[in-house]
Parts: sequence; C-alpha cells; structure tokens
Amino acid sequence: MIRVATAGEDGPAAAGVERARGLLRRLVDHPLPWLLPTLAALAVFQLYPLFEAVRLSLTDEVLTATGTEFVGLQNYVDLFTSIGFRRMVVVTAVFAVSSIVLHTLFGLILALAIDYGVRRGLRGHLTTRVSVLLAWIVPGIIIGLIWKVMLVESQLGAINYLLGQVGVGPVPFRSNPALALVSTIVAGTWRGTAFAMIMIYGGLQRIPQRLYEAARVDGAGRWARFRHVTVPQLKPVLFVTVVLVTIYALNTFDLIFALTNGGPGRATEVFALFMYRKAFSEYALGEGAAVAVVLLGVNLLLTAVYLYAFDIGDEI
Amino acid sequence: MTPDENTPDGENRRPGDGVDGTGARRRRMDGGTPEEPAAGAGRTDGATNPSGSATDGLPGAPLEAARDALAGTDFRALDAVVYGLYGVAMLFFAFPVLWIVSASLRPEGELLSLPFRLVPGEVSLSAYRQVFREGMLTWLFNSTVITVVGVGSIVAVSVPAAYAFSRFRFRGRRQLLGLVLLFQMISSVIIIVPLYSVMTSLNLIDTRVGLILLYVGIQTPFSIWLLKGYFDTIPEELDYAARIDGCNRLQTLRHVLLRPIAPGIAVVAIFNTVFLWSEFVLAYTVLGSERSLYTISIGVYEFQSQFGNDWRAIAAASVVGMLPLVTVFVALQRYFVKGLIEGSLKGQ
Repeated sequence: MIRVATAGEDGPAAAGVERARGLLRRLVDHPLPWLLPTLAALAVFQLYPLFEAVRLSLTDEVLTATGTEFVGLQNYVDLFTSIGFRRMVVVTAVFAVSSIVLHTLFGLILALAIDYGVRRGLRGHLTTRVSVLLAWIVPGIIIGLIWKVMLVESQLGAINYLLGQVGVGPVPFRSNPALALVSTIVAGTWRGTAFAMIMIYGGLQRIPQRLYEAARVDGAGRWARFRHVTVPQLKPVLFVTVVLVTIYALNTFDLIFALTNGGPGRATEVFALFMYRKAFSEYALGEGAAVAVVLLGVNLLLTAVYLYAFDIGDEI
Repeated sequence: MTPDENTPDGENRRPGDGVDGTGARRRRMDGGTPEEPAAGAGRTDGATNPSGSATDGLPGAPLEAARDALAGTDFRALDAVVYGLYGVAMLFFAFPVLWIVSASLRPEGELLSLPFRLVPGEVSLSAYRQVFREGMLTWLFNSTVITVVGVGSIVAVSVPAAYAFSRFRFRGRRQLLGLVLLFQMISSVIIIVPLYSVMTSLNLIDTRVGLILLYVGIQTPFSIWLLKGYFDTIPEELDYAARIDGCNRLQTLRHVLLRPIAPGIAVVAIFNTVFLWSEFVLAYTVLGSERSLYTISIGVYEFQSQFGNDWRAIAAASVVGMLPLVTVFVALQRYFVKGLIEGSLKGQ
C-alpha cells in the first residue's frame, strides 16, 4: 500500500519538475527576466526621482510646511531673475573653466612625461603615476579635509609656513573670497588631474606606431612628430576629456562641501552646493528642485556633446 | 586576468635601457584577446606583452637607435626636464597625503608646523584613539558592509542585463540601451533634492538596504555598458556550442561566458568599490540622521564639524578613512589602474 502511494505520487511530482524546467527554459529564453532587476532599479532610483524633481520644481513645496501648491514656472522665473543665482553661475563658471584648463593641461603634461619616461626607461615614472592616481582615489570629503589642514591660515598650515619662509603671508586661503575659490580649484585639480592624465595617456597609447615611423621616414624631427602626429591624433581624446571634466566640475559637491562649504559668504558656492542649500538649509524644496532641473538640462546638453564626440571620435 | 598578461610599465623595464624605448610603444592595438577583451581603453597601462617582444626588434630599430644616439645631448636635456616634472608632480600629489599622515601622528602638544618637519619628533597615537572613541569602528563597519554588499548587488544585477543587451535581439533594445547610457551620464547629485521624499515614501530612509538599492540604481548603467562591451567581444559561436551541448542560457552564462568576462567584472567591482567607499552626498541624505549608520565619509565629515580646529584628530580621521582604499590600491595597482581607466572612460 505504501508502495502504491509512492508510485502514485511520483508521477505528478516528476511532471511538476518537468513543467518547472520547461517554464525556466522559456523564462531564460526571454530577455525580460534578465533585465527585470535593472529596469526596476532604474525606474525606482533614477526615473522616479527625476520625475519627482520636475514635479517638485513646479510647486512651492517647503520641507517644513504641509500644504503645497502648483506654481507653474514661478520657481524658474524667480531663479533666473535672482542675483544669487547669477552670482552662483559666475562662481561655477570660474571653477569649471579653471578646472578644465588646469586638469587637461596638467594631465596632458604628465601623460606626455610618463609616456616619454616609459619609452626612455627613466626612473620614477611609476612612482609619479601612483602618486597622481593616489590623489584620485581619496574620498572627496577627505580631500576637502586634507586641503583644509594644508591651508590652515596661520604658520601652522604647511603652505602658509612655507610661504612664511619666503616672507609671504600668512595668506587667508579660506576666508578671502577670491583666494577661497582658488583653493577649491587647487584641491579640485589635485584630485582631477589623474583622470585627465589617464585619459590622455590612454589616447597616446592608441596612436598607431606606424604614423611615427612614417613621419621618421619622412625626416620629421621630434618636435615635428609631436606637432603633426601626436597633436592631431590626440584631438578626439582631448575633446572627450574636456567634456567629461566639464561634467565632473559642474557636479562637484563633496570636496567643496568639506573644504569651504560654499563660503566665505557664497564665494565658492557652485551649482550643486547652491541647490543643496536651497533645498536643505532653506527648506525650499520647490526652488531646490528647479535648480536641480536646470543642472539636469546642462548635464543633458553636455551628454549630447559627448555622444556627438563619440561618433566623430572614432570610438574613443 | 592572468598576472603575467598585464605588467605595469616600469616593473619589467630596466632603467637605463633608454635607446630601445620606442619598442615599448608597439603593443597590441587590437580589441583584445578572448582571455582579456579590451572594452574601450583596454591596454593603457603600458603592458609589454611577453609574446609581443618579438615585434620589438623590427628592422627600423637599430637605425632609430643610432639616430637617437646622435641626438643624445638633445635627449639629456629633455630627460632633465622630465625628471623635474616627476619631482614637481610627486611633491604636489604625494606631499598633502604624507603631511596628513605626519600630522595625525603628532603628540598632543606638538604644533603642526613648528618646527616644520614631515617626520614628527615623537610619534603618538592619541589622535587615533580619539577618532576611534568617536565611533570610527562603526563607520568602517558600515562602509565595509555597504561597499561589499553594494558591489556584489551591482555585479549581480548588471551581469544578466549586460548579457541580455549583448545576446538578445528584442524590440526597443537600442532605445533601452540609450536610456541606460543617459542615466550613466547624469550626475547623481541631481536627484538629491527629491531623494529624501522618494526614500521616505519607500520606507528606505535611514536604512543601509535603502542606500545599497540606491547605489544599484545609480551604478548599474555604467556597469552594464562596460560589461556589454566585454560580452560583445566573445563570439556567439561559443554560446551555440554550449547550447548544442544541452546548456540553457543560464548555464551557458555560468559555465562558458563567466570566465572570459571575469576581467570586466573585476573592473566593474574595482570602480564601484572606489565609488561606494567614497560616496558622500547620497549616503548623507539617506543615512545622515542616524548616527549608528554613518559611513566613513559621513562620519569623517561630522567628526570635523564637531572638532573643527583639532587638526591632528581631523588628520587621523582622514588617514583611517582613506587607508583601506589606498592599501587595496597599492596591493592591486595594475588591476586598479586598468579598472580606473576603463571605468572612468565609460562611467559617471
């Protein structure tokens, strides 16, 4: 009797296993199950917040108040007509343009120097590269603090001490508005040069060697080879580097947050910090969201440029 | 990724063998090998392939050497300039880190720069004791959990998606890929304003799980793009062969494709580890109001707002905060550089 019962149960169980296996096969042959976790994560943590940002930007929502009203484009009008916004745009522009120039220039010089050192077998190129990259992997908040300690505004600060030795200072690196902006740019360059450097170094490695050989055969000297092979070949990479550095610079937050927190006054308040203050210090979520949407627009514009470069840049 | 595949430049190059220098430039320009497909900027860390050394002796080389020897004086001047650059760069990039380490080790009475010296007169760990009293261990623990689980989740979510984008042909595939790329390019800073209400309404505020899920949403686009590049370099014939042997797609992925894309997974893991460990603004928004959940970035930030002028303590907190990544970086330098290069090219 027991045996009969087992036998009787065996059939449906086996069929069930078979059916499950068939279902699994059909499931894994469809792209949806493979993409489902990604789609869910993107929908909840990217798409929804973006929609929410746009929705909020059209309301007068305040973090502490309860009732909110639809105000249309009022937040944007207020924003674009306010002096604070315009001043922030200027600060951001100075920060971004300086960053672009300094990161790309230093990155280019270092990439060329390291490439040269590798080819000539010079000592120290590895150590140089490691020091530059080290600066890049330090968390942004800690970079802000490192420079805060470096730039202490008395003889105790390393930089001020050294300047003091040559009779300068003590320099108010963080309390003078103009100097504070310079300080954030220096700290930003300390971090960001690594990125430009490896981008450009990568670009140098991808220049076909036969171009240099052809130039040699044609009798081109060192400088001519640099001018007529390296520079034109590097142009697409340089362009992409500039676009990406611009995107990074415009979205900089943590480094400045820790180093100056936008101060003194609003002297170092870039886009992201301005948005953060609107939303979380003044509790004006609607206005903060409007700033976020403007920043989103700038990001999208730069992305379009980047994608365009990708097309003409021959799959960088 | 076999260790012998990818030797960082300099390690296997003797200083002084200058004139053959141009040979090092002749590395593989192809898209990679099955063992190590190059997605984008693959081999930029100066790999001199052992098998490639045969090509180093191309006919032109002796002539080049002779010409370079003739221009020796020119080289020596340039060498000096380049050495100078190395010195300046090392000073600028390494000094702040060394200074912070030095500052963190000073005994309580010693001033930061009077007298000015990098090696403190007397080493003291009192600043570190203070940092650990303030909860550094908790922050380290939180950051470790969030980074490990987060990176694991990101890999677990993005590998199947990258597989699907590489191997399936379905309607809307291109548009979906475009959308993923778009999300990759948009900075996460933008969503911090609505983030608080989003996380609150999902009941995820002040939870580590919430932050991890958020990181998955933020970081999968880049990871998918990078991994898709790796999948695309593997010929589909490999899949067909596995299918004929009776593997379904899941088994094919696990037994056949996982090994060739392992370098890609390593890159994704490295890049996301750096990002998750360092990330501040999202963590601050999600976990900032719960002290026991602070990550290292939040903890260090809050610590410095509390002990504003205690430079030694701030330095010690900074050192502890960056030490784990720096250690891993130094240990895995060659993979790290590769990871950072490919990651930054396709990421953020």
